[in-house]
Amino acid sequence: MKSLVALGALILLAGCGGEHRAPGGIQGDPARGKVALAQYGCRACHMIPGVTGSKVWVGRPLENMTRRRIIAGTLPNDQPNLVRWIRDPQAIDPRTAMPVLGVSERDAIDMSAYLLSH
Amino acid sequence: MPTTRIRLILTTAIATLLGAGAFGTLGAFVVVRAGWYDIGATTQHFQPVYSLLEQAMHYSVRRRATTVLVPALGSHDQVLHGAAVYRDNCAQCHGGPGTAPGNHGLSMQPVPGPLVDASRHWKPRELYWITRHGIKMSGMPAWEYHLSEDEMWATVAFVMQLPVLSAADYRALTAPGAEAKR
Repeated sequence: MKSLVALGALILLAGCGGEHRAPGGIQGDPARGKVALAQYGCRACHMIPGVTGSKVWVGRPLENMTRRRIIAGTLPNDQPNLVRWIRDPQAIDPRTAMPVLGVSERDAIDMSAYLLSH
Repeated sequence: MPTTRIRLILTTAIATLLGAGAFGTLGAFVVVRAGWYDIGATTQHFQPVYSLLEQAMHYSVRRRATTVLVPALGSHDQVLHGAAVYRDNCAQCHGGPGTAPGNHGLSMQPVPGPLVDASRHWKPRELYWITRHGIKMSGMPAWEYHLSEDEMWATVAFVMQLPVLSAADYRALTAPGAEAKR
């Protein structure tokens, strides 16, 4: 139990200061991605920091994305995988309720840049 | 005499209120007339404004739907019928499990949103009221003049089932001809 608490504290500390900064090597334009996240209706199912909308838990909330190790249950959380998931989630998980939304590569890169820096 | 003093206080208070009111109105007129408000759908409401409008919508629907009489809902035939009506009239903006809305539904502001969680927020009579009367300034049409009573209730029955449908279930129920095969 004690070690769990210590681990939790470490994780929290590790997040301090860095939570709104994208890790190095992130491509794309986060500001453009923020608008794209609204324009593809992402906010309809996901709560996204900084994007206006309802309280909704249809998809998982997308805050603190840099702290996630795994996305979509199986993929290591890096930008190329996030872009793959955003563009064609059903190719990765055929049973997912997340639809294919026709996101262009550029828009997906910008969206992932926003998510990985907030 | 205290009356003079009270009169002075009252006059000052009223003049201040009228002055502030006039100033506010003038300010609002300038903001509107100059076109400073960005009406584009690429800019968003501030979150408190959005939340206030959404709450007001909820309270309004809740109150207005109290007199709606709910018929028997949920028979297999009715749900299948509702699935066809939903596919033809609702899915374009609301989508379904594993199925995206059309492009116009994705980029509407406010976003129409999924209905898989609708039964968590609304009672059947409230879903019916929204379907029948629509929602002002949101793009949600009033279906009263475009769908029959049976079609509207069938749609409500189908929406109540959405939370338990997988993407594959949804596709099967809304497949062309699914209703005819019943």
